[in-house]
Amino acid sequence: MHGPEQLGNRPKVEVDASHHYGDLVVYKHLKFAIAANEFICICGPSGCGKTTLLDMLAGILRPSEGAVLIDGQPADPKQQSVSFVFQEPSTFPWLNVRDNVATGLRIKGIRGSEMAEKVRDIVEMVGLTGFESYYPHQISGGMKQRVAIARAFVTDADLILMDEPFVSLDQPTRERMQNEVLDIWRHRRRTVVFVTHNLEEAIFLGDRILFLSAKPARILAELPIALPRPRDPVSPGFMAVRSQCMRWLHAPTGRQMARPGAQEKLDLTENQ
Amino acid sequence: MVPSTTQVSTHVGTGASIAAPRSELSPASASMRTTLWNLVSLACALSLWQLAAALVGSPFFPPPLKIVDAFLQLATRGDTFGNSLLTHAWASIERVLVGFGFGVLLAVPMGLLMGLYPNIYAGTRAVVEPFRFIPPIAWIPLAIIFFTGLTRFAFLIFLGAFFPVFTSTLVGVARVEPIHRKVGIVHGASKYWTLRHVVVPTVLPDIMAGMRVGLGTAWLTIVAAELAGGISTGLGRMMTNYAELLQVPQVIVGMLLIGLIGFLMNEVLLLIEKRLFRWRWQVRL
Repeated sequence: MHGPEQLGNRPKVEVDASHHYGDLVVYKHLKFAIAANEFICICGPSGCGKTTLLDMLAGILRPSEGAVLIDGQPADPKQQSVSFVFQEPSTFPWLNVRDNVATGLRIKGIRGSEMAEKVRDIVEMVGLTGFESYYPHQISGGMKQRVAIARAFVTDADLILMDEPFVSLDQPTRERMQNEVLDIWRHRRRTVVFVTHNLEEAIFLGDRILFLSAKPARILAELPIALPRPRDPVSPGFMAVRSQCMRWLHAPTGRQMARPGAQEKLDLTENQ
Repeated sequence: MVPSTTQVSTHVGTGASIAAPRSELSPASASMRTTLWNLVSLACALSLWQLAAALVGSPFFPPPLKIVDAFLQLATRGDTFGNSLLTHAWASIERVLVGFGFGVLLAVPMGLLMGLYPNIYAGTRAVVEPFRFIPPIAWIPLAIIFFTGLTRFAFLIFLGAFFPVFTSTLVGVARVEPIHRKVGIVHGASKYWTLRHVVVPTVLPDIMAGMRVGLGTAWLTIVAAELAGGISTGLGRMMTNYAELLQVPQVIVGMLLIGLIGFLMNEVLLLIEKRLFRWRWQVRL
């Protein structure tokens, strides 16, 4: 697989699992690995089980068969430090911005001045300085999502799972947030798994994109994005990757169905 | 691959959008205005009463001033048995507080337990729910047989306060957002943490609402229980005594005092709510 071997150390995350809810098979022999500090995007059609996958990575959900290993250990939120940014608003309405951001630290037993310092830094990084004592209902949706992002990045969690975190935001805010996440990721060196159904977002953010099929989901293809950062969505290179992806995803009709079991390795960038 | 020749970023840098909190009147002057309006409506009500009393001109329809008279007399010299108004009022308050306190102390944990473990609730519904429909007043005869003194009243009030708090706690647990629970769990939170920092904050507004309803039921019950007799103190007892003597002003003093004490207790709960729930937005239409 791409990634782990290239970087030459053990994968941060190793997935080799199947999962079903009753008769509904969500994953059949899903197998992939994620390198440490990699920014990986997962794309797939609605309802293909992306949230189920993230729940398995977070260790909230045990796969029916196989295992999800983080640093070689089965995923377990009490053992590893994982953070999650959810698609829907997840700030606690009864806590102000500061206390919301500090939630994860408090659970991990980090208190006092160490906590205050970490919270101050991250609040500054997401541009919420001055809003520390505001309650969620007093700030905008975009700011609430920034609180959730700060809460995820403030802990020492080295695996950060993001489930379509910007889907409810308007375009300018979304673009700003994408840059903020990249900024934080660069500064703090974390492994990020970012689920999105927005291809452009995936190309803009990811070191690598995994394309999932519809249920029972498997990896249709993986696409390393070799574009230099910061990426420019209107640059020719970016556009080329995007259009090739689109062409591959949409035509020829039924291609995804036609080759079950085949896992294509896309290297579109080489064709330029 | 072809690197883009011009790296013009269309992505704008960070800039915090400004969200201003609601502000209309300053809180101080708004509360002054509310107080003023309440004084005005109170004065209007008293004037109407005075007018009606003057028109009727019957000893059974005393004007407000007669009530004040009766109040002062009861407060300073006490009733026909020598029990002062304070003794009566405190007797009632004590009973309410003890019964209400026990009611809340038992209702909240039970509501949480049954809310968090719906199977327990489902399996005991047939036992728990019918009790809800027996009014506390219907327990008075049994309470008279089984208990005496403070215990009797505390028991009746406990029954009146328990169910409103229990039911709202139960309903409140269902309001806990799965996503909030998940936030804790992904960070490795224990069950206790989730209970303390997710369930309780979510349910607290419902508990407080239940407490306010329960307090109303508690007052309703205490007066009825005291009217039933067997004791010499309590506002309900005092009212019955004077009703038997056909002394209306003293009866009305008792009524107003019950209203006033209930109102003050409710205000205290509201004050606690206000402090506790600063995070809640105000709904406006």
